Amino acid sequence: MRRCLFALLIFSVGCRPSGRPAVGPSQRIVSLLPSFTELLFAIGAGDRVVGRTQWCDYPPAALSIPSVGDGLPPNIEAVAARKPDLVVLYNAGPNVTAAKQLERIGIRTVLLDLDRLEDLGPAARTLGRLTGLEQRAESLAAALDSLSLDRPRPPSTATLAFIVWDNPPIIIGHGSYLDQLATQAGARNVFDDVAAPSAQVSLETIVARDPQWIAVLSDSAVPPAFAKRREWRAVRAVREGHFLLLPGSLFGRPGPRSGDAIRQLRAKLAR
Amino acid sequence: MKWTLLVTVAVLALILSVALGPAAVPLGELLRSDIVWNLRAPRALLAFLVGGSLGVAGAGLQALVRNPLADPFLLGLSGGAGLGAVLAIALHLPGPWALPIAAFIGALAALGLVYRLGLIGGASLDPRILLLGGVAIGAFTAAITTAIVSLADAAELRNAFLWLWGGLSGASWDSVLLVALYAPIPLVVLMAASRPLDLLALGEESATYLGADVEGVKRRVYLAASLLTAAAVAVSGVIGFVGLVVPHIARLTWGHRHRSLLPAAFLGGGALLAFADTLARTVVAPRELPVGVVTALIGVPVFALLLRRWTIA
Repeated sequence: MRRCLFALLIFSVGCRPSGRPAVGPSQRIVSLLPSFTELLFAIGAGDRVVGRTQWCDYPPAALSIPSVGDGLPPNIEAVAARKPDLVVLYNAGPNVTAAKQLERIGIRTVLLDLDRLEDLGPAARTLGRLTGLEQRAESLAAALDSLSLDRPRPPSTATLAFIVWDNPPIIIGHGSYLDQLATQAGARNVFDDVAAPSAQVSLETIVARDPQWIAVLSDSAVPPAFAKRREWRAVRAVREGHFLLLPGSLFGRPGPRSGDAIRQLRAKLAR
Repeated sequence: MKWTLLVTVAVLALILSVALGPAAVPLGELLRSDIVWNLRAPRALLAFLVGGSLGVAGAGLQALVRNPLADPFLLGLSGGAGLGAVLAIALHLPGPWALPIAAFIGALAALGLVYRLGLIGGASLDPRILLLGGVAIGAFTAAITTAIVSLADAAELRNAFLWLWGGLSGASWDSVLLVALYAPIPLVVLMAASRPLDLLALGEESATYLGADVEGVKRRVYLAASLLTAAAVAVSGVIGFVGLVVPHIARLTWGHRHRSLLPAAFLGGGALLAFADTLARTVVAPRELPVGVVTALIGVPVFALLLRRWTIA
């Protein structure tokens, strides 16, 4: 279940383009991750996307593309029915199997890593190469690369904890995209000593680390239901109503809008 | 002697679980710390109450179905609770208590169905059908749950499973109070059935000859044990092994007389869960282990050790 839980947050390449000889630029692409769909649109290949997952909701034009399901794991027949000449998959266990199956029926696939900010540039370049749109991909990739640069920043003044789930409390650790977003926006994740992308912790650890903000991926404008639970009131930020409600479509996935996400998070923290 | 030891272990487990935790609280400030008062103390008490309830429910059910494999969750309750929790999320039921209440109702619905199935052969509750019915209803509700989770759009639905196997993170004085008011009723019902449960071990017919109201006892024990388990699942999710292993350990030490077996199972289950939860919170801090993992890791070796001593003796 953990895999599914964070499916929207995660992504990485070891970028394993299939080993067959180069063919012409792909004209019919099925994208099996919202981030890939966004990247394809951003490099100008949006009109070549002929299949997407049900989660691919940006840009709005993507919604008119037929969905091939939730992509977890991919429905091979639904993907093949779109007659793609390229299928872009997130590089993870079940997708590796799916890619092999697609290759077996003669469909080219590419497995891309996309877990962190620094994966964005390479992913954009690979997609550019496969679509013959190298130039636009390169300028996008250069902009995305700069997001993860370790440029000197003013010391972070705000602290926050990302709460993914409340019972048991699951937080975001150092190895994750959201942790990077926080750092780039000038905030410190109080769980940046946890190496894993996410982890179960005790509520008292959250109380002891006393973050100024509780960040939640949420499309709602009201604080999550756990804010009203008695045990959570022990957390100061919960008592004081210091919630950062971050819409999942913008904040939950690395993509061409990651820069916007960082700017918006910085603005929310400044308020 | 046995009792002194058990009570000491139980008290020690409670003290440890209040004194130890991932956040550093100096010993001198233990009694004044907000973390201790509002988080650790209710969690320790809830662990003890839930563990004790599961121990007693397990002991009662094992006697009722006369099957050493019986576990409080074997009779379909976890499946029903899971379905309730998933529905609460899918229907966006509002409020901080929506999930526990929905899980409790789901468990009660499963309980009702299994009970009805158990009566299928006539007016007499058949323990074998109860077991089969429990497994069947459990599988059925799990299938519906999985179907909802895989078909629905909401990504957070998948988190319902996290909740169901969640453990004691939701502990607060509210939940402690709730369980402390609720659990004594089924516990007393089970204790009052001690003598007839002893007789039931001789077989239903013999028990009837010896003057036990076999039908009434079976129904009361089934309902009381299931109501205890339903409350446990609502406040702490499905915590395995406590209800299976603790009654056996208690039986190996205290024998088959339920008058002493049931209180021993309560203290033992409470101590085991409080201790397991302390380990779950501290050994990998700041991370936390699912408490069910720890109960299995402690309970099973202890059980194997006792089993060995018992078969050699």
